[in-house]
Amino acid sequence: MPQSTSRIEYLAGCTPNRRQALARFGMGLGTIALGDLLGREASGQQAARQSGLPGTAKSVIWLFMQGGPSHLETFDPKPELAKQSGKLLPEEFRKYDLAQINTADAKVLGPQFPFQQQGDSGLKISSVFPQLAKQADKLAIIRSCYHELFIHGSALTMMHTGTRLLGHPSAGSWITYGLGSETDRLPSYVAMTNSFFRNGTATFSSGYLPAVYQGTYLRTQGMPIQNLGRPAGLSEENQQTLLNQIRQWNTRHRDKRPGDSRLDARIANYELAFRMQVAAPELIDLAQETETTQKLYGLDEGATENFGKMCLMARRMVERGVRYIHLVDGDWDAHGGVKGNHTTRANAVDKPIAGLLADLQQRGLLDETLVVWSGEFGRTPIMQGNDGRDHHPYGFSIWLAGGGIQGGKAIGATDDFGFNAVEDRFHVNDLHATMLSLLGLDHEGLTYLFEGRERRLTDVGGSNDLSARLVRR
Amino acid sequence: MLRPKLPTVLLILVAFCSHLGAGEKPDQPWAFSRLKRPTPPSSKNLKQGALIVNPIDAFIQRGLESKQLSPAPPADQYTLIRRAYFDLTGLPPAPEQIRAFVDNQSPTAWDDLIEQLLKSPQYGERWARHWLDVARYADSQGFEGDNSIPNAWRYRDYVIRSFNEDKPYNIFVQEQIAADEIWPDNLDLDPKRVYRLSETKQKHLQAIIGTGFYALNPQVAESALDAERLQHETLTDWVDTTSSVFMGLTVACARCHDHKFDPISQQDYYAMQAIFARSQKQYVHLHTPMMRGDWHWLYPRLTAVEEARQALKAFRKRTAGRALSEKEKQQNQQLRDAIVDRLMELPEKANSVPNEPFDILMTSPTATVLGHVHPKLLKPVHFLQRGELEQRKQVVKAAIPQTLAEATGHPASISKAFESRKELALWLTRSDHPLTARVMVNRLWQWHFGRGIVSTPNDFGAMGTAPTHPELLDWLATEFVREGWSLKQMHRLIMKSSTYRAASTFGTAHHLKTDPDNKYFWRMNRRRLEAEALWDSVHQTAGSLNLKMYGRPVVPPLAEDELAALREKWQWPVSGDPSEHTRRGMYILVRRNFRFPMFQVFDAPLTEVSCPQRDVTTVAPQALWTLNSPSVYRQARQLAALVLRTTQNNPEKWVSELWFRALCRPITAEEKTETLKLLSTLETESAKRSQGPLPDLPPELEKLTSARAAAYIHVCLALFNHNEFSFVD
Repeated sequence: MPQSTSRIEYLAGCTPNRRQALARFGMGLGTIALGDLLGREASGQQAARQSGLPGTAKSVIWLFMQGGPSHLETFDPKPELAKQSGKLLPEEFRKYDLAQINTADAKVLGPQFPFQQQGDSGLKISSVFPQLAKQADKLAIIRSCYHELFIHGSALTMMHTGTRLLGHPSAGSWITYGLGSETDRLPSYVAMTNSFFRNGTATFSSGYLPAVYQGTYLRTQGMPIQNLGRPAGLSEENQQTLLNQIRQWNTRHRDKRPGDSRLDARIANYELAFRMQVAAPELIDLAQETETTQKLYGLDEGATENFGKMCLMARRMVERGVRYIHLVDGDWDAHGGVKGNHTTRANAVDKPIAGLLADLQQRGLLDETLVVWSGEFGRTPIMQGNDGRDHHPYGFSIWLAGGGIQGGKAIGATDDFGFNAVEDRFHVNDLHATMLSLLGLDHEGLTYLFEGRERRLTDVGGSNDLSARLVRR
Repeated sequence: MLRPKLPTVLLILVAFCSHLGAGEKPDQPWAFSRLKRPTPPSSKNLKQGALIVNPIDAFIQRGLESKQLSPAPPADQYTLIRRAYFDLTGLPPAPEQIRAFVDNQSPTAWDDLIEQLLKSPQYGERWARHWLDVARYADSQGFEGDNSIPNAWRYRDYVIRSFNEDKPYNIFVQEQIAADEIWPDNLDLDPKRVYRLSETKQKHLQAIIGTGFYALNPQVAESALDAERLQHETLTDWVDTTSSVFMGLTVACARCHDHKFDPISQQDYYAMQAIFARSQKQYVHLHTPMMRGDWHWLYPRLTAVEEARQALKAFRKRTAGRALSEKEKQQNQQLRDAIVDRLMELPEKANSVPNEPFDILMTSPTATVLGHVHPKLLKPVHFLQRGELEQRKQVVKAAIPQTLAEATGHPASISKAFESRKELALWLTRSDHPLTARVMVNRLWQWHFGRGIVSTPNDFGAMGTAPTHPELLDWLATEFVREGWSLKQMHRLIMKSSTYRAASTFGTAHHLKTDPDNKYFWRMNRRRLEAEALWDSVHQTAGSLNLKMYGRPVVPPLAEDELAALREKWQWPVSGDPSEHTRRGMYILVRRNFRFPMFQVFDAPLTEVSCPQRDVTTVAPQALWTLNSPSVYRQARQLAALVLRTTQNNPEKWVSELWFRALCRPITAEEKTETLKLLSTLETESAKRSQGPLPDLPPELEKLTSARAAAYIHVCLALFNHNEFSFVD
């Protein structure tokens, strides 16, 4: 694991507004250059990172179940729902809008999997996640998550950026902006998928933050990063000769142009690019892992191989100082046949996720790695067709693990139908505020001036920060 | 967070407004104050009076003297011509153009160059691209579906034409906001000129395409599920964009509460939404009734394509799930050929008007523009408590913001129901409007100098930064109006100044310490080429840029790893004609959900909201693109061959010519030695390894040994990675 470089030298004398000016004009302190390049001089941090916040997390792995996994089939047991199955939804819920079904004449669909108490804590989890259930004592489930957006596009934007509109930075960008980078050879914010990003590159966009905080899409096969491979016809030796010459020219060019730190950054940038050419292929070379480890993540089985690789790469990235890793599994959008869909999807991710949690713990990485599991919403308590469920943002479940969290507990609750979050209501802005706290960042302090306003990941929300209740005492 | 808290802001504001004179309220932002024409400082009172070409220099000199800063010396001729070319056309000058300029001893050589560049059609493309950043231009709507806006490019072309014909800026603003209300018109043919529209009608049609500005907003396709929310989101985009772009005010926060710093109330915000409440997007035909008639006459040809397709589908259904006999294979082929034949028989031009190509993709070409909702279908705008649709309060009537109305002595309320945008546009373009001219000259200044006199070009309010040279800004604004809002006049004025012609390489310790950010413009700011300019420059240098103008967006091929993030690969339909792949960057398809990867890497703007100024970041994928991408490597091959054509296989001549072409200046003796050595090192290295034949070599390179050919290519590659190539001094 490469040693993390001290950030202090890059922080000196660099206020956020000054930093923004530098990003635009690149003038001023020459020492800024390398930090700026790596997203390392972390301006948000000065004002935002506060001692006294509870978390011990340094990096984040977000396991994103795209399409919207049903809370009723996974982490929110609803015995009442089973009793009401097939009956009309009570009057009180009929005023809510949903994407595809009319609440007025819709019938309740009971849970499709049994729930059992798991681990020492007795946390209730459905039978769809048998391997993950064994890690129950690491999970803190929040059963009262909600927002108001019942279509994928806006709901995903909300989950990723804390607002429903496009153009805002994703959580990963905010966090790398706030904490900087601890790797000098890999991107500090990485996104991967075994299917597709429903919202395209907006999923990991840096919005109005400088592009250095943008997520890099890492492919799981072939060349992991765009333009990483040398062109056919250019040997390694040739490339090295060229890089030496380019350095000589660019150094002379810079020497004749005083007071322009961008030119230093550009010179350093070629070295970073060269290191990345070596480091990225090494990162995805899973043959370096023992057979036991590979099996732990399910690399030996067809169903789990894909997501298992992503989870294993995520652990390797955490070890190498990558700050934020966004893993997308899809598609959980079970408008029909929720039982079949969730069985297949859970089979693909159950073992890899359980393996990841166990592996992080055995390597002593769990306390400094925050693992988040969510989709963009849950699914309706009422049936779509005979056996499907529609999108449902008014109450759904997510869980957190690692990062100093006390597992084996559930916070918040939905009503008896699993329709509305009623206890400890936890908006997406609250989730982001909680994540930031666990990383030692104050969500009200981590801001960036854009279009006349100091912007935040949590917009105007985030008051229900649950981090203090989540951490180990 | 580390911004000054409110009292400090107020103090600064008060200090700022103190020059406004008695009678004006101190809480009014400086930019709302009346536009007055300051008298430029006299050259007699300035030390460097000899440097003063026009009032710009006088204002700048006075600022420099106040800080005891001397101005940088003028840049040399090579730097100047490159700067002028990139500034006005976004392209590097060709070697012969450089030589002609440097050899031209005439005292008007610089002025002549400016005139020549302002006349070039590439000028319009370059400056339209700047405007498209501000206009949040894109060819798709974003969010999950990222649905196409198939005719958005009509607006893009309108902007290019507007810049090229030096359309007065006030008219440009009026057209975009309210052409349909100011110049309502139809496409009735002129009976005296048979198939033609009168010139006036053509002009009106073009003007109406300008309202396409409002058709480009990002939108969730599924929000059509909820008509109220869809309208609210559209109005939000329209009001936010209008105020950022034309007024330099960010009013977005007033949607939820009164603006904390600027005198824009929440009431003002919804009153502005009400100005647009009667408007809706609609299609306008671009073809005359005669031409549409022609198309309908040819309609059976379209039907024939569809029928041929149906025949193949029927055949496939009949033979599904089994192997085809030989005869059936033939049939299959014939049916496929029939589709192609019918397709190729589709007309390319309208019969009646030979120069107007048909767009075979549409039954009759249209542009999306603004029009009006039927009065019975109007949805009134409500004041929304905390900006929440569920908390509707009173109905709000159309009005311009109260404080601005007072500042301009204009009634706030807008009375005419179906001419509300017209009233807004005419008010905004009054010659004494405090914002419109200031905001635009500041943009021009920024696009020339890399930073505006106000460095927050979309925010002239209290949260924006104050102007570094308020009197210069006001002088330029009044000059702009006085010159009939002519942008080209402003380019002339700015570029002829000594301030513009200063060197960027200058910088003493004193200067760098006193004013490290060059707020006083003591030297020219060095600028990195924007994504499109870099793309154009690589191709132009290699002689492969296709300068064709206008039309549907082009879609260059992408490598598998570049396409990986795109969900549906068919959303990137590669242009069939390979010569389209090297069109100028501004014509490349702009998808909100999937930016052209090279542009994304080089800070092309997000298109969700107006982008007044691009970021300039340095990230590793940039170096990887210039070092490793297939596009750059292909152009390195072309460049090596192009230079060989004029220098034969003479390394010394080749190196000198290459240098001149790529960096627009003569090579130095030192560089020549280095580059020749590089050439021979690369050749030796390549010769040592038995390497197979290089792919796709142009004929000039094919004649050489493969080691020599490779060495030439790789020197070109190295030069593309020279910082001098990517920066304009």
